[in-house]
Amino acid sequence: MSNSQVSDSNDTAVTEGAEVVAGDKQSDAEAQTHFGFKQVEKNQKASMVAEVFHSVAAKYDVMNDLMSMGIHRLWKRFTIDCSGARAGHKVLDLAGGTGDLAAKFSKIVGENGQVILADINNAMLNVGRDKLRNLGIVGNIDYVQANAEMLPFPDNTFDIITIAFGLRNVTDKDKALASMYRVLKPGGRLLVLEFSKPENELLSKAYDVYSFHLLPKMGQLVANDSESYQYLAESIRMHPDQETLKGMMDAVGFEQTSYYNLTGGIVALHRGFKF
Amino acid sequence: MPAAQLVSAALEVTLNKLLDMDPTSEHKLAKLSGKQMLVDITESPWPFVFSFSDRVDVLIANRDEESQADCQMKLSINTLGVLKDSSQITRLIQNNDLVLDGDIHVAQAFSQLITEMDIDWEEHLSQVTGDVAAHTLMQTGKSVIARMNHRISTLTTVLAEGAIEEKQIAAHKILVVDYCDKINVLRSDTARLEARIQRLERQLGQD
Ligand SMILES: C[S@@+](CC[C@H](N)C(=O)[O-])C[C@H]1O[C@@H](n2cnc3c(N)ncnc32)[C@H](O)[C@@H]1O
Repeated sequence: MSNSQVSDSNDTAVTEGAEVVAGDKQSDAEAQTHFGFKQVEKNQKASMVAEVFHSVAAKYDVMNDLMSMGIHRLWKRFTIDCSGARAGHKVLDLAGGTGDLAAKFSKIVGENGQVILADINNAMLNVGRDKLRNLGIVGNIDYVQANAEMLPFPDNTFDIITIAFGLRNVTDKDKALASMYRVLKPGGRLLVLEFSKPENELLSKAYDVYSFHLLPKMGQLVANDSESYQYLAESIRMHPDQETLKGMMDAVGFEQTSYYNLTGGIVALHRGFKF
Repeated sequence: MPAAQLVSAALEVTLNKLLDMDPTSEHKLAKLSGKQMLVDITESPWPFVFSFSDRVDVLIANRDEESQADCQMKLSINTLGVLKDSSQITRLIQNNDLVLDGDIHVAQAFSQLITEMDIDWEEHLSQVTGDVAAHTLMQTGKSVIARMNHRISTLTTVLAEGAIEEKQIAAHKILVVDYCDKINVLRSDTARLEARIQRLERQLGQD
């Protein structure tokens, strides 16, 4: 499979660093996955994603505000509103990065509850830990470096699991969803906040221009790193749409799955229960 | 765009800013810590949930889903105004104007937190302007408000009495003259206040 095949809609999708891109070996399809629009060896994706978040960690919060014009805060608030979090709950904020959701959960679940901020990337985890400590959020929060595909927790541990803007970076999403299902308590719920498919054609076009042209430029200007933001834009486009993701959640056992489109479907919040 | 979350975010920021300025809030909040209170105002498109810790987080609830909040209060915006008078509460509940479910202590503690905010505005102003200026500003402000109130109340009486004697043309004349007088006094008051503020500003500039 070649670059040009998956990126025919947009020539800027082909970036430098072609040495990490696998060649035209059709037979290798099984062992490959996508990294943005590129096809890469499956076992390489995790470390490539790690590199992206390693390089954006320090500027991550600033870029988030800038890229989404602050709206990501409202998307995250909506996620919390749908979580049903209460005092005493045990919450896993998976791919939690710099800990926006974890911070709020920590207040809500109180001293009898517990929040675990988990991320595969140590650099992001460190930025998150420093940020939360500075905010005075300590005591009921723990930091765990973990891969969403193989969660290092016993079965039936959490009342709530959130994964915000994280699932699209995971290599084997089905495996990750199954792992989340396993560690969720019966009665618990999973919330997946992720970029999705805009409902409206026009919005979709405008969004394309924004993410493929403006976003990498902003990344270049602010974080001096256009490639990482190029990857973000591409990974958003490769992520399963609303119905597909809902189907994937159903397939691993989640029940009463549903989703809400936010900001015209640019982002969607999926919710599923384990009973 | 999630409008509800924009509103709850604004509410949350304002509420916590106010609580930060109230030295007695810490103690009052401690009583509520770990509790949640749902407030469903009929006219509001969404019910709010107030989640208490060492601060207040404001969440948006869903009317289609059963709430787990410790205390739930449903009422209309008009009832909200009457709520300040605690002697009315029984009547409101009997009339079904106020529906209260769950732990009533949470509602009481919450209302105490909100209605008994003890904020020393002068103190907080002084952090921006300096002590003397803040004090003067507050005093000026208070006396201006007192004078305005007095003026408004006399004006209302005059107008009310005037209305009774509507048909007497002479009364109209007196009213008009009196009104003009009052306006003049007000104008010179305002000018004095303006001069005073300018003086204060100069003073601040020199600091
Ligand atoms: C875009 S950030 C989102 C951070 C945070 N949840 C937020 O919404 O601001 C994505 C995060 O996913 C993490 N991540 C990527 N792959 C992961 C995996 N397989 N398991 C756990 N975390 C992963 C990255 O390290 C990164 O911190």
